Amino acid sequence: MTRRRIWGLLAAPGMAWLGLFFVVAFYAVISVGLGNVNSLYQPVPHWNPLTWNVGYLTEAIQSVIPGGQNWPVVVRTVIYIAAAIIGALLIGYPVAYYASRHAGRWRGLVVVLLILPFWISYIMRMFAWTNLLAPDGYGSKILSALSIDSLFSSLGLLDGTDWLGGQGITVIIALTYGYVPFFILPLFASLDRIDQRVIEAARDLGAPPPSSFWRVILPMSKPGILAGLVLVALPMAGDYYTQTLMSGSPSTSMIGNTINNYIQGGPDKVLGSAITILLSAVLLVFMLYYLRTLRRQQGAEAA
Amino acid sequence: MSEGDIRLEGLVKNYGDVVAVDGISLHVPPGEFFTMLGPSGCGKTTTLRMIAGFERPTDGQILLDGVEMSSTPPHKRRVNTVFQHYALFTHMTVAENVGFGLRYQQVGKDEAKRRVDAVMEMVQIGELGERRPSELSGGQQQRVALARALVLEPPVLLLDEPLGALDARLRLDLQVELKRIQEQLEVTFIYVTHDQDEALTMSDRVAVMKDGKIEQCDVPAKLYEEPDTAFVANFLGSANLLNVEARAAGDHCEVMLGNFTLRSNSSPEQAGVGKAMIRPEYVKLEPQGADGENRVPGMVEEVVYMGFHQDVRVRLANGDLIRATVPSDGESPEYHQGNAVAVYLRAANLRVLDDSPEKATGETADQADTAAA
Amino acid sequence: MSAAAAEQGATAAAAERPRFSLGNPWSKPRWLTGITWVYILWSLLPVLLAIRVAFNEGRSRTSIDGWSLKWFFGDSNFSVFGDPTLQDALTHSLLLAGLAMLIATPLGIMLAIGLQRWRGRGSGPSNVVALLPLVTPELVFAVGLFLLFTTLLSTIGLGTTAQAIGHVTFSMSFVVVIVRGRLVTIGPDVEEAAADLGAPPLAVIWRILLPLLAPAIAASLLIVFALSIDDFVVSQYLASGAETTTVPMRIYAQARGAPLPSLNALATLMLLFTLLALVLAYGVFRFMTRGEKRGSAIEQIASIDSGGGR
Repeated sequence: MTRRRIWGLLAAPGMAWLGLFFVVAFYAVISVGLGNVNSLYQPVPHWNPLTWNVGYLTEAIQSVIPGGQNWPVVVRTVIYIAAAIIGALLIGYPVAYYASRHAGRWRGLVVVLLILPFWISYIMRMFAWTNLLAPDGYGSKILSALSIDSLFSSLGLLDGTDWLGGQGITVIIALTYGYVPFFILPLFASLDRIDQRVIEAARDLGAPPPSSFWRVILPMSKPGILAGLVLVALPMAGDYYTQTLMSGSPSTSMIGNTINNYIQGGPDKVLGSAITILLSAVLLVFMLYYLRTLRRQQGAEAA
Repeated sequence: MSEGDIRLEGLVKNYGDVVAVDGISLHVPPGEFFTMLGPSGCGKTTTLRMIAGFERPTDGQILLDGVEMSSTPPHKRRVNTVFQHYALFTHMTVAENVGFGLRYQQVGKDEAKRRVDAVMEMVQIGELGERRPSELSGGQQQRVALARALVLEPPVLLLDEPLGALDARLRLDLQVELKRIQEQLEVTFIYVTHDQDEALTMSDRVAVMKDGKIEQCDVPAKLYEEPDTAFVANFLGSANLLNVEARAAGDHCEVMLGNFTLRSNSSPEQAGVGKAMIRPEYVKLEPQGADGENRVPGMVEEVVYMGFHQDVRVRLANGDLIRATVPSDGESPEYHQGNAVAVYLRAANLRVLDDSPEKATGETADQADTAAA
Repeated sequence: MSAAAAEQGATAAAAERPRFSLGNPWSKPRWLTGITWVYILWSLLPVLLAIRVAFNEGRSRTSIDGWSLKWFFGDSNFSVFGDPTLQDALTHSLLLAGLAMLIATPLGIMLAIGLQRWRGRGSGPSNVVALLPLVTPELVFAVGLFLLFTTLLSTIGLGTTAQAIGHVTFSMSFVVVIVRGRLVTIGPDVEEAAADLGAPPLAVIWRILLPLLAPAIAASLLIVFALSIDDFVVSQYLASGAETTTVPMRIYAQARGAPLPSLNALATLMLLFTLLALVLAYGVFRFMTRGEKRGSAIEQIASIDSGGGR
């Protein structure tokens, strides 16, 4: 039928583009990671799966398991991401909740202000903090005046007083700062979808406010929370620039830095590709989970 | 009036394993107001969409004035549709909406304007031409949708629950108007609805559909008075269904209801074990002991006040419950729970139904009852 | 996408929520208000300060030091328009954003319409592929393109073309999400109505679908522009040298050095461009959706972004 052929034709250019520059590009990662190097240590991709060489992949796996060279980086990455998404949840949930339910006549303004960080480049937002946290910056001075730096030092979270001098805590706070807007907005949307009458029904049936929150609102917003957390954890797993800007020290490097160093810095592009394959394999589950919730949400709206 | 003859032959539509339309054959002569009536999921809208060209039949033929058109794309078919939710083009004015299709008919500018004005006048939206659809009321939007299709002067107009989204008052007004327009233009209307009142008041003929098949197709009065099946009886109005055994007796039937033998004017071909039907308004209540043919003793079990009539439920001596409509006209006696009565089931109105076991399951009859109520 | 539902919820909630007063069990929890405003200050103040520093008279980038525009125009060696490296970064960023808008928007619109209607073999996987770039960490994506352009497509090689291709690839998925969201709201009815009234398929797309998609197209252009101009990772991986440096790359390279407020001025200009685009798109959006029953277009634009984060 002509109608049907037209839809396929319309999709064709975009699909071809994505096929070449997304699917084949990822296949290039696999071909390089399962390829070899020439005498100049330049990668020789093996495009034919029959000639794949698992040597570098094995090396990559050995480097990221306990005892391996990159094992501490893997552990650090997991800790940083976990800490940052817990931070995002603790900050983001109350904010999204307030914006969706209690902002009243300020609602429009609050929503605009919550969206604003989206339109500011991530790098610029990090750059702003490098200004603030420089030893003579306003941020450092305020933190020092409030004795927060000595408090953090006594807790063992800060080494010395230079916030930009290779501090893990700075990287974690920066990750939280950088990604929390991306958590708040989808959560806001999902909280906003909860019918006010459901909450009123809970109250009507005798639930006091805290209980109606724990038993009704929180369970109903759980899909939104999970999707939001996945949405911010994924880019964190590939982040290397936050760490470079806020610390730069190898003692705080994440898996993204390792890949970046292999690919852009040193000669070990093949090993870098192999680690990228491993990272993608781990993240794929989360990516598909998020896409499924996205589609479900769209399906629900279509109905 | 020679144009607008629609013939469906063995039309089938499957979606995977689901059979939406299961072999429909019918003939709609030019100028007829034909209605497909049925509950949701009965296949009426799918049939309409196949005639319009939005769905391709799995099997069967669609003929317009004798020409097969089931593989013609919708924009090349001479039939037009009024959509359930109007599907107006929100980015165009009312006049632009109405004139939309004329562009594809090689109609000159002046001619197009004349036709748009005329049809807008006919559906009484003459002064709304420059408005946007979002600025109109539901009834006005409905008229725009109608004008947009009629301006193309189609021999056949398809209407998919066109009044479904309107409130009851407006619905009545538009029913009258649709009928007027249809008679004035002598266009074939194929009308889909689940509303029995709409079907009965407007149509020349009605096809009652169920599970992708036509259950019965006839003029409204015939459908109401002489339904063939329990489903049709229940879907159009309310009906008392009695489990009976019917025997042929000359030119009529003898109906065994428990120990009582009743006469029914149904044709003797209907004889067999099955169901008999009588409308509540034909059930007459007489004083206890009244004598004569087709009288069954009973006891009033419940009386429900309905305003202009009372709904009296009587337990018959054989155990069946039967509903009688007693008009609140000041002349009929008042009934109370526990009154003993004689129930008169007139032979002319007691109808033996043609229900093969797979057709008349109690379940669907119940559903239809709720739908009709 | 979610806006229609969100709006309804919002208006219903606003209408039905009782007035708050002391002692009312419904009273607004003050600590929530506090957290929210503290968060908003925390999220925006550093950036505002960075902008303020761009207008410094002195050379300090960590403290406020007088007022001037010298870091934008005045200083002949170090201002944005005096330092060719800064100026080139700005032009290059705008060039890439323009290219990305011109290519990704039409491709994404066609892909969205196609995917929405196409129900054949292969439409399932195609749907996944069209959305996967939304959630793929940029690093993985950038490594892939880098390796592609240094091996299989080494005839194209690294540089402006590769960067533009990269930007188009990741922003196309956003266009798909936005346009499909709008298509769902429009519904198939109007297209069927147009076909029923005699419009052939291409006329349906041209006269019905595209005009109705106009607000989504405006939003798409905006988001592609913003994604491209803010992008760092893909630009960096596919850059071939100084002349392919973008603004975020310039900021990244100099942030930890001892930069002058001109770097802040550069970042400020970039932000200005983004906000201008935002205002423009918002205006178009409002104009195109006038008459449609909806609340604030702000929240419409807000919901655009919930498709994915970068």
